[in-house]
Amino acid sequence: MKKKIALFAKALCLLTLVSFTVPAPTNITIWMIGDSTMCLYPIRQAPITGWGMPFANYFDKTVTIANHARGGRSTRTFLSEGLWKPVADSIKEGDYVFMQFGHNDEAKEPQYAARYTSVPDYKTNLIKFITETREKKGIPILVTPVSRRSFDKDGKAKETHVEYTAAVFEVGTQMNVPVIDLDKKSRELYQEMGPTRVKYLAMEVDSAEHPNYPRGQKDNTHFNEYGARRMAEIVLNDIKAQHISDLESRIVHGMNAPTVNPQVK
Amino acid sequence: MALALMSFLLPPDHITLYMAGDSTMSIKDVRAYPETGWGMPFKAFFDQTVTVDNKAKNGRSTKSFIAEGLWASISDNLKEGDYVLIQFGHNDEVPTKATYINEAGFTANLVKFITDTKAKNANPVLITPVARRKFNASGQVEGTHDVYSELVRKVAADQQVPLIDLDKESQALVQKYGPDDSKYLYDYVAPGENPNYPGGKSDDTHFSELGARKIAEIVLADIRALKLPLADRIVKVRMPPAPIKKAPVTQDTLTTPAVVKQR
Repeated sequence: MKKKIALFAKALCLLTLVSFTVPAPTNITIWMIGDSTMCLYPIRQAPITGWGMPFANYFDKTVTIANHARGGRSTRTFLSEGLWKPVADSIKEGDYVFMQFGHNDEAKEPQYAARYTSVPDYKTNLIKFITETREKKGIPILVTPVSRRSFDKDGKAKETHVEYTAAVFEVGTQMNVPVIDLDKKSRELYQEMGPTRVKYLAMEVDSAEHPNYPRGQKDNTHFNEYGARRMAEIVLNDIKAQHISDLESRIVHGMNAPTVNPQVK
Repeated sequence: MALALMSFLLPPDHITLYMAGDSTMSIKDVRAYPETGWGMPFKAFFDQTVTVDNKAKNGRSTKSFIAEGLWASISDNLKEGDYVLIQFGHNDEVPTKATYINEAGFTANLVKFITDTKAKNANPVLITPVARRKFNASGQVEGTHDVYSELVRKVAADQQVPLIDLDKESQALVQKYGPDDSKYLYDYVAPGENPNYPGGKSDDTHFSELGARKIAEIVLADIRALKLPLADRIVKVRMPPAPIKKAPVTQDTLTTPAVVKQR
């Protein structure tokens, strides 16, 4: 009997210990700041899709996604238009801030002068986002700008953000912030698919296809629903591969579904 | 009272477009993503005078759709001018399934849907069951619904109801993509790619986001080709000015409204 009581007491101790060492996960917010490749789109612009949209579908209930990315923004205009401040003001301890800029920072053409940001300024702005995230005990995550879909004449996927991706890595090292190399990994996917199939990922509709685009639409930067999901999958899988803090445990893990028999449904 | 208020708030010509069908058409639970029913992207095609009410449900045949009261949830609420898009067959045609219904029963159920809809002065549209991804050894698409699709065609002709021959047209789409690339249209996920399917998935019946939209676009094109009055309610975009050639299309020029929170 005494033995049993002792055993029970031990078990109780162990249980108490476990409850101390494994606290229930708190609710957190993932703040997303970036450009048109990441942002939300209204149904009237379908099928264009930012990768932040499907990204939100793969976390458990402890995670709220607040996607503040906005089309056409560089780090500089995101700050100057006051888009960063409401995010910085709202960050709570344990929140994450995913930042992906570059497409508009690097635009050197005269018509984009209003958004262009030099590499040194780009780094300064990223460091500001990181510092202010950390001041609020948030966790910054750098994402290199998703690659444009561009191939050379030999069918090799081209690097399209060389300087700015390098700058993200420099900031990551300097500030000890995890870097998700979406630029490289998206380019690897494009290479695997090749110049013809890569259009399945693209925001590309012909004029008769979708009523939102009576003239059709085609570009080598933005994604359709499918492409955005493939980009989100890259980011999700890299969170797992790098074991980024507690975020990995908040990604859903579905059933190991076997091949579905076409007769099932 | 609330209903009376609603009818004041909605424009007088407001209609509901009901969707009756199976898993190939239905709205998916987030846990099943990226599997996508074609009714999901279809919703984006109509202007504010149309409410799309997608009642399609995984695994349903005409028989179980009626038995479970899903049909009543449509027919009880139908108003004059509403539409009902009807697409069944996948679960009707398989004798080993509990949802199986023989050819005569399938025909009778479709006729019931049509009769009930017309009784409310609403508009039924019949759709043949969307194609599975099936190729023969020489890379030609093979039909998998031949008998039940033919029944749908016959009912449409007998009852003088508009028909969208989605089986035939989606087979043509799948043929165009070919044996390899057609996998992009269906729910094919590699192991380790998507958190919902750690072991991967190879599904020749259900669609990816891309496939679902391409199917929805076929249905939309047919609504236009059939000159259904519904076509007047397809979203109209003011023609944007012709793009300025100087701006490279590669640039990130799109902007979005300030949608702040998701989920």
